[in-house]
Amino acid sequence: MAEYMERHHLVSKTKTLLIAPVVFLSVFFVVPVTNTFLRYFRFSEFGNVLSNQSLRGVAWFSLWQAVVSTLATLAIGLPVTWALSRFTFRGSRLARGILTAPFVLPAVVIAAGVLAITDSRGVIPILWAHVVFNVSVVLRIVGPRWAMVNLRLEHAAATLGARPSHTFTLVVLPHIADAVISAATLVFVYCFTSFGVIAILGGISRRTLESEIFTQAVRLGNTETATALAVVQAVIIGAVFFITRRSSRSLSTSLHVSSPQQLRTKPTHRLTPLIITAAAIVVVASPLLATIYRSLVVNGQLSLSAWRTIFSGTLPALSVSPQSVITTSLVFAITAACICVPLALLVASNSAPRALFSLPLAISAATLGIGLIITFNRSPFSWRSERWFIPLIHAVIALPLMIRALEPAAKAIPNSLRNASATLGASPFATWRHVELPLLKPALLRATGLSMATSLGEFGATSFLSRSGSTTLPIAIAQLLGRPGVATQQAGFALAALMVLVTVGVMSRA
Amino acid sequence: MKFTRTLITASLVIITTACSSPTANTSTDATPNEVTLLAYDAFTPKEGIFDAFTATTGAKVKVVTSGDTGTLISKAILTAGNPEGDVLWGIDNTLLSRAQKAELLTSYEPVDYGDICVNYDKQWFTSRNIAPPTSLEDLALPTYKNLLTVQDPVASSPGLGFLMGTIAHFGTDKWQAYWKSLKANGVHIAADWTTAYTIDFSGSSGKGKYPLVVSYGSSPPAEVLYAEKPIDTPPTAVIESTCFRQTEYVGALRGTRNPNNAKKLISYLLDVSFQESMPLSLFVFPVNKKATLPDLFTKFAVAPKNPLTLDPADIEKNRDAWLSTWRDIIL
Repeated sequence: MAEYMERHHLVSKTKTLLIAPVVFLSVFFVVPVTNTFLRYFRFSEFGNVLSNQSLRGVAWFSLWQAVVSTLATLAIGLPVTWALSRFTFRGSRLARGILTAPFVLPAVVIAAGVLAITDSRGVIPILWAHVVFNVSVVLRIVGPRWAMVNLRLEHAAATLGARPSHTFTLVVLPHIADAVISAATLVFVYCFTSFGVIAILGGISRRTLESEIFTQAVRLGNTETATALAVVQAVIIGAVFFITRRSSRSLSTSLHVSSPQQLRTKPTHRLTPLIITAAAIVVVASPLLATIYRSLVVNGQLSLSAWRTIFSGTLPALSVSPQSVITTSLVFAITAACICVPLALLVASNSAPRALFSLPLAISAATLGIGLIITFNRSPFSWRSERWFIPLIHAVIALPLMIRALEPAAKAIPNSLRNASATLGASPFATWRHVELPLLKPALLRATGLSMATSLGEFGATSFLSRSGSTTLPIAIAQLLGRPGVATQQAGFALAALMVLVTVGVMSRA
Repeated sequence: MKFTRTLITASLVIITTACSSPTANTSTDATPNEVTLLAYDAFTPKEGIFDAFTATTGAKVKVVTSGDTGTLISKAILTAGNPEGDVLWGIDNTLLSRAQKAELLTSYEPVDYGDICVNYDKQWFTSRNIAPPTSLEDLALPTYKNLLTVQDPVASSPGLGFLMGTIAHFGTDKWQAYWKSLKANGVHIAADWTTAYTIDFSGSSGKGKYPLVVSYGSSPPAEVLYAEKPIDTPPTAVIESTCFRQTEYVGALRGTRNPNNAKKLISYLLDVSFQESMPLSLFVFPVNKKATLPDLFTKFAVAPKNPLTLDPADIEKNRDAWLSTWRDIIL
């Protein structure tokens, strides 16, 4: 009875704390988006959109390319996740860093890298770019969970004569299924709402709903059409969430006893994980190398002038120093992580309403952007052009990703541990601090890295917000690549290459 | 359930407060020590150019940027009457009518101009002993098959300018046939300026496959100023007869809280010192006749006496129809 009381007490305490993420998301996401819909949604326009033949084609293309991209990402991502979460070998940390780096890069940089290698446009380059971008999502979400699956179970299965494929499907998969589904859902959404990559690599005949929303809202000024399209997009993504949530539940309820220990084996058969990792790196890193190449080579000759420029002096044509751009981006990334990670942790360790916290994924960046500028426009809420508003919005955008990055690890902590701690007299906070937090640490570190990466690379919604003297890295890169002159463009690629190197450095540690 | 209720209550409270606040008084300046200039991301004026303005008026200029011209104008229209700043820089003649319809500005005037023109890679043509094209018609000739990359006019303002140029040149009933011939001649459609110029074009850093690209009349001097190693002449040149005139406007935003400072800032932007700083910082021509041009511009930039033009009202009236016809031809 006492045990029950303690536990009940713990749950209700943290439930109260859930107010923080709920209020945060309500104020900075639900309210502005609701405002957009209230002002610009028209049923008649919705009807027009649904009956438009070419828009249906756009929706269909968005859907199938996203499904194929997700499958391709899983095909590359899952084996390397296994290799990197089951084995440690020389260079495994570096490999993790390299595989995460593309996540921060602006679409134009990844697309330019892919294009430099394929030299042609079409579906294959699009799929490749999506894989490059999203392998990190699988790695960061499934990895921490896979590392927590008790190896003894696998050994036991093997001893009992199960083949490795059976061990995987019957023993390992049920333990990681919800993490895999969670990652796959995210990848699907990122590919479904892909915009820059499709525009550059697909040519104008291939459009996604997201790019159509942007075109209608920003280029043509048809906010009503854009809003109707945003509803269609939200409904499709919502349906996908619904289906994956259900299958996730049915797949993972059968066997839900996870080992609390984090196990890392000494490599017994070193070669397989090494080969898998190397293959994944070739797929992901070759477009990045193309970026570094363009920052170093001009007219077939090695030239370090762009690198000299970004370390000393002013960026050509931008009249801001690269140092200030880098500082701004880092300050934003750290601020966003400080807001986002604690909120995500609160949600992940409680059974909070998931649908609410998935919303930012379903809603088009343009819809949020419009909502923000028409909502936070009068004192005392006149925040739309404030400097601190940008990292705050980064935190909103990163929140669903963070929750998914923390959730599998948080769920894997068995209740028996918490109960044992409570029985031994530990306060709920002490239990959290000494039992749960240490177990969550690897997942927390990775989530923080991912949150910073989201902030560093965010372009969609923030390009909609006004900035005063706060040029971020993706914006600076877009501007440099958006001007004539070999030196400006080379500096753009050098900044992108610098982002890659810094991210590899940071992510190798986290 | 509790969360849903909290959420709805919070939403309602904020929306009501936001909608019911009184509008600002406009007879005197709300912040006499500051004036906000809204502009597109590529607005990168010469460093310290506003110091003189602050010295004479006592007001600091805060430059607030957001996206490209399209984003800037769409945002300004969404916030018309309750603007994010006092002065708006950068509406061009293809968007002017849309701004007028939304009563975005209380007053506006031209501040700079430039041209959207086909540029070519000089070396590509000399090394092959082929004369570069000299007209829009040439671009559809077999000699120049598969050589031209242009931007999607839906997504890109130079792309739109080029399309408008072809409509101005061939007329509202013949431009369709011209684009069909361009398509048959292998014109490549790029997503935006960056893709066309830095990836597809052979004459700049990307070393792509296309020696002809839609860009600006001022791109060649930029190639010299921002060359990797100092050069005397640009590697690119402009086909003058393809140039479509783009005029940019500056104006005071309706609902500005600093109408007096807004007025002062606009006259400063039209004054000689600022106008003379524009060519090498923004790569546009000054409208002020007293402003002298830098050497680099007089030598290499192109702004024809009689460029292709269209009436902004015509553009606004027909843009959507033209764009969808264009899509039907190209797709």
